[in-house]
This record gives sequence, C-alpha cells and structure tokens, in this order.
Amino acid sequence: MAPDAVWWRVAWRNLWRNRGRTLITASGLAFGYLSAVVMVGLTDGMVAELIENGTRLMMGQVQVHSAEYLPERNMHRTIGGYDGVDLEALLARLEADPDITAAAPRLYGGGLLSSGDETKAGLLYGVDPDREQQVSTLLSRVSQGRLPVPDAYEILVGVEMARQLSLSIGAEVVVVAPASDGSMGNDLFTLVGTFETGTPAIDANYAVLPLSDLQYLMAMDPGRVHEIALTVTRAWDTPLIASRLAASLEGSGPQLEVTPWTDLRPELAEAIGLMDAVNYLIAGIIFSMAIFGVANTMLIGTFERRREFAVVRALGTTPLGIGRTVVYEGMILGAISLAVGAAITWPIVVWWHNSPPDLTSVLGGFSFSGSQWRPILRIEYSYDTPIICAVALFLTAVLAALYPAWKATRVPPADALADR
Amino acid sequence: MLKLAARSVGRNAQRSALTAAAMVIGLALLIFSRSLAEGAHEQWITSAIRIGSGHVAIQAPEYLESGKLEHRIGAVGHERALRAVESVSGDQVLAHTPRLSVDGLASSAASALPIRIEGVDPEQERAFSDLDEKVEDGRYLEPGDRLHAYVGVELARRLGLKVGTRFVLTAQSAAGDVEGQLVRVVGIFRTSIPEMDQGLIHIPIETAREWLGTPDAVTTVAVLLATSRDTDRVVSELRDALAGASDLRVLGWRQAAPELDSALRMDDYGDYVFHSILFAIVALAILNAVMMSVLGRRREFGLLQALGLTGAQTGWVVFGEGLFLTAVSGVVGMVLGFLFTWGFFRNGLDFSGLAESESAWASAGGMVDPVIVPIFHSSQVLLSLYFILIIGTLASIYPAMRASKLDVAEAMKFDR
Repeated sequence: MAPDAVWWRVAWRNLWRNRGRTLITASGLAFGYLSAVVMVGLTDGMVAELIENGTRLMMGQVQVHSAEYLPERNMHRTIGGYDGVDLEALLARLEADPDITAAAPRLYGGGLLSSGDETKAGLLYGVDPDREQQVSTLLSRVSQGRLPVPDAYEILVGVEMARQLSLSIGAEVVVVAPASDGSMGNDLFTLVGTFETGTPAIDANYAVLPLSDLQYLMAMDPGRVHEIALTVTRAWDTPLIASRLAASLEGSGPQLEVTPWTDLRPELAEAIGLMDAVNYLIAGIIFSMAIFGVANTMLIGTFERRREFAVVRALGTTPLGIGRTVVYEGMILGAISLAVGAAITWPIVVWWHNSPPDLTSVLGGFSFSGSQWRPILRIEYSYDTPIICAVALFLTAVLAALYPAWKATRVPPADALADR
Repeated sequence: MLKLAARSVGRNAQRSALTAAAMVIGLALLIFSRSLAEGAHEQWITSAIRIGSGHVAIQAPEYLESGKLEHRIGAVGHERALRAVESVSGDQVLAHTPRLSVDGLASSAASALPIRIEGVDPEQERAFSDLDEKVEDGRYLEPGDRLHAYVGVELARRLGLKVGTRFVLTAQSAAGDVEGQLVRVVGIFRTSIPEMDQGLIHIPIETAREWLGTPDAVTTVAVLLATSRDTDRVVSELRDALAGASDLRVLGWRQAAPELDSALRMDDYGDYVFHSILFAIVALAILNAVMMSVLGRRREFGLLQALGLTGAQTGWVVFGEGLFLTAVSGVVGMVLGFLFTWGFFRNGLDFSGLAESESAWASAGGMVDPVIVPIFHSSQVLLSLYFILIIGTLASIYPAMRASKLDVAEAMKFDR
C-alpha cells in the first residue's frame, strides 16, 4: 500500500471513531451550504425579477432611437426627423442581423383619458401588437378582454387605470393628447381589454394603442416612431451586440443611436451590482460562522485526542504524519458534508424555484431603484453559485483543520502520556 | 450543584473559551446587523415620508382609495384636524403641512407626462419635507409665489424646462371639467428617487385651489413625527381626538403608503431569513461544543456517579454548565456587539462605495442614505439575547440526558 493511502485510511477511521462529532460537524457544514445557496439564490431571484420587470416587461434589451432623442425624449425627435423613415425597410434591415431575433416599433405620448365624469392622465404607448409580443412581455399580461386591433380605435389600459376611470370592457374612452403640430388631438376609443402586471405604477398609468392609431392622434405620419426595441440572441452580450450594431448602421440612412439596457438604466445595473456585493457579504458571513464552528469542534477534538496523538507519536509516527491525518480528516469531512449538503439543497432549491411563495396578495408591488418589483420570492439558480459555495465549503473544512493539525503535531508524547 | 458546574467550566478553560467565543461572535454579529438594518429602515421611512404624506395623514375617508378631489377636506374639517394635531401630547409632532394633491398631465412643446401635483404651503412645507434642500437650480417656492412650480430634474429634462420656462398643467377640477393652468418653473430639484424626479411637482396651494375650483380645501394634512416608532401612538391619539368627525380619517404611514410598507416588510422578511440562518449556525456551534464537552468526559462523569451523584444530578451538572456558558457568553457578546456598533454610531457606516449613482439606493418612493447610522432598540437586543439563551438551554438538554444515562461501570472500565 502506498504510504499516503495509509494516512487516508487512518483519517477515515478516526472520523468514524467519534461518530456523533463527525455527524454534527458535517450537518453544520451541510446546513451552511444550504443557507448560502438559498440566500444567494433569493437575491439572484430578486435580481432576475428586477431585470425581468426593468427590461423584459417594457424596455427591450436594445433600443434604437434618433440620435437626438435621448435623454430628453422630445416628442418631435422621431427616427429620421420630421419626415420619418421607411419603417418596414428599417425593421427588415434590423431583423436581418444574425444577433437580432425581433424588432418592434414604438411611439410614446402623454395624454388625458376620460370616461363619463372621470379623467386621468396617462402614458400612451403606441405599438405594433404582433411585433411587440416578441420583444416585451407587457402584452402577455392581458387579464381581461383582448389586444387592440389597428385602425379600429381600440385601446388597452392597466387594471388600476380602468378601476380609477370606472371602465369596463366595451366602454368608450376619450383620449386627449398634445399632437406634434401643436394642436390637441382627441379621439374616441373603445376599451377592448385590461392588463395586469402586479406593479401599481404601470397598471395605473399605461394605455396601449395600436401604433397607427396613436400616430393619427398625435398628427404624425405612418413612418414616424420614437423607438425600435430589439431582442437579441445573447442577453449577456447585449452591450457588445449594441456597439456592433451601431457601427453597422452608421453612415447609411437616418442618424441612429443604439443603446443597450445597461446604458438605458444605469441605476438598475448598479443596483444589481450592489445586490451582488450584498450576496458576497452574506455568503462570507455564513461561511465564516461555519468555519468557526468547524474549527472549534476540530480544535476541541484535538485537545481531547492529545493522549491518542501521544500514543501514535510514541509508536513512531512523525509529527508530519499526525498533522497530515488531521488535515485529511478535514478533507473527508468536507467531502461528506458536501455530499449531504448537495443532496438536501438541490430538491429544496428546485422546489423553491418552481413554486415560489407569492406574497402579492399580502404585500403590494413596489419600486426598487426605479424598476418595479413584485413580492414573489423565487429562487434563481445558476450553476456557478453552487459550485463556488461547494469550493468554499471544502476550503472551509480544510482551513478549519489546519490549526488543529498544527496543534496536533506539537503534542509532546511523554508529557501527554504522563497526563501532565 | 451550580458550583460543580461552574468549576467544571473553569477547569476546561480553553474549551469553554472556544464554545463561548462561538456564541459571543454570533450574538455580536446579530446585534451589529440588526441595528444597521434598523437604521437603514428608519432613514428609508423618513426620506419617503417627508416627500410623501407624513408619518400620519389626515384625509377624507374615501380619499386613499379614490385619490379624487371630490373626497377633499373643507375649511371646517381642516380647522378641526389642525386643532387635533396641535393637541397631541408631548413633543412627538415635529411638523405638519396641508397638501392639495391631484394627478394630472404636465405638457410643454416637447412632450407630455403624467405627474402628481402637490399644492403646498411653502413655509410649512419647508419645515416638513427636505425637498427644498434638494435644489439643483433656482429656488424653492416662497410665500407670495403665484404661478410658480418646483419640478424634478428628470421631468425638466423630458419637457425641456429650465428655470423661468412656462409649461401647462392639466387636471380634472372639482367640478369635473378638464382645466389647464399655465405655470413657470422657479426651481428644479434632484432627489435621486426616480419616481419623484420624474413625477412630482410642487405649486403654491392657493394657485392649486384657484385652478381646481376648491377654495380653502386640502386633500391631506400630513404630520411628521420625531421617530416612526411613535406612529401608532399618535394615530390612536388623533383618532380619539377626531372621534366625532366622520369626514376625517387618520392613517398611519403603513396604510397611507402601502408600497413603502410592502417594501419594508419584504426587506424585513429577507432579514429574518438571514438572521434565522445565523441563529441556526450559532445553535449548531453551541450544540456541537456542548456535545463535545460531554462525549469526551465519560470517565469524569462516571467518577462523579461512582462518588455518589445520581444520574439526574450528573445531568443537572452538565445542564448547568451549558447554561452558565451561554449566559456568560450572551452578556459578553451583547456588550461586544454594542461596543463594536457604537464605534460607528455617531458617524454611520459608509456604503456609498458599493454603487456610483444614488438612484441605486432608492426604493418604493424613498431612499436609504448610503451612510447608514445604526439604531439600537433595547427590545431587539434583549430578544437576541433571549434567543441565544433559549438555544443554549435547548442545546444543553441532550448532552445532559446522555450524561445522566451513563453506565458507571462501563465508563470507568476503560482507561480513556
């Protein structure tokens, strides 16, 4: 037998000589692993929700505007200026790009919506319903009725706005909005549906109209849009894809600006960075507590095994051999805890991911760093978190064994055996 | 028996110190993170509440749900509400202010955006909210201002407004008509709270009353308190004072600002999860350490029993040891956590390095100052101590039972 394998075997036997201690320590480490993965998963779930609501719900991953549109979002600064563009051609050209899976044109307006005696200010959101559904998820949140059809004076509003205006499906809504020619546009629309996102600010303020209807209301030509939102193939590569796209659009046609969501909402990107920092902090605290618990047990273990070490020393083992055994004990302990930890963590995480507690009925939604958030505690799991935590756990067990191992090498056999 | 337990703690000084250290650090950490979370919450509440409707809001009964002008408070109700606020005992009330709020549309040649328009009394508002300190350009409203508006920096950008620019506010008046009002920008503010910077306008309350056709009316009397903990007390005091007035409703900020309430509760929930985990780890460490101390001392306990102690008595010795350890380390941990946090107490802990833009700290209409000043609640500190003691007690039970059921002959037979 190779000399090293002997020490592994000694370490393995040592562990099971004190079964209770081993099991408690291992369960402590396994619990630490579970906690770290769950806490990080919860924060990641919140981040995913923020990105989802901040980008997928309405924004889109990349936006194309006229070079003069941002940051003021002046209503007159449509793509291609006052004359507009050949929208179909531009959309076709964007969608021909291999990294872009969908493109949707949008027009924004602000106006007053009235029904009966009630009036409310709202944001008018002119979209191409078919295209929009490939870029954002807002239109998939229809809670009642259906999507509006172009050129039929149909409108879709948030549930909270419908409540405040006492609207039901089929009701007539007067929409008044400042038009591009300086006049006030106004028209009568029929409510065909309501949407519910669960976030008050959106449900109370947004009204969705077909693009052509809003263009008509605001006295704009069919070629005039404020924005084209894009979905890209690789979400994490968005900034790269955006800059490449900007370069390819340069020089031909109207002056365009291509902006990835990370630039559109820098505070959101920062909040996500902040939460990542908090994640590390939490995982760090959990593991430092765990390392302390393990080191503690192992240290106490080595104190109590002074006599045992002394006997082994007296039998001719080198100090290095004893130290090595203790470190190996730590490694085996780490491996066992890891197996136990992974075995209990995975089912919990998968279950929590698939049926998260939905607190929407108890708590309302709220905003966070300018993005809306619903209180659904979904755990998001990636593959790197459990692996990083696993490595941290293993290192914890080994590091915790170092000091006791060093102590164990320094047991003077004669004194210990004489019980001094 | 206690003496025996205390002695046996002392005899194994090194082991006892290690066990105690686990508890001390755990408790100190708990106190530290709890007081920071508490401090962040108070800042968050205060910031949201000073811009919003105060710790306590007095409104017409239906106003919270409808948000409509028809549910306003007239001159008589306003007078009565003010008398009630002034009658609140003690010095809990820092300031109060009348507001006439309406949702409307702000439009310029460039764009139109839905916004919240607050008609305010410039002088009282200055004492109430800190919005006047957030001036980016121009100045805050002053008494005697007429057609002046104080707008957020994002709104100004979107509408292309500068100090001195005119723009139009449109809203539904009390009579039900859509009325426009031309105002001029007198100042631009930046709160770093996206909702406020884009969606809030202050105008003089007299201008709002004239424009909306509601002479002498207010929609909310907002009351600012010294600390948010007094809210419930002041709410019930005001409710008693206004018991006869069916046209007035007293709301605490949790009801008046449900969004802030859910955000805070959510944050609390996260804290509870984190603290439970911390507690569980501390509990495991304690259990572990106490177990170790017993399993390794079979012979010692065997000797005790051989000398005449009953099994139950041995059990009590072990239990007493556990309790003694927990109590001592509980107190030490509390003091340590307190001292550690006290070091940051006055100046606060600066987290601003974590994010560049201030908006990253904004949530639910309020924001946490990146410099967090911890707050101690004696009740919470005691609760932490109490939990640690309970965990210590529970963790000692099993080892005590093991020790009491020792087979004396078996334990003494083998030389360790």
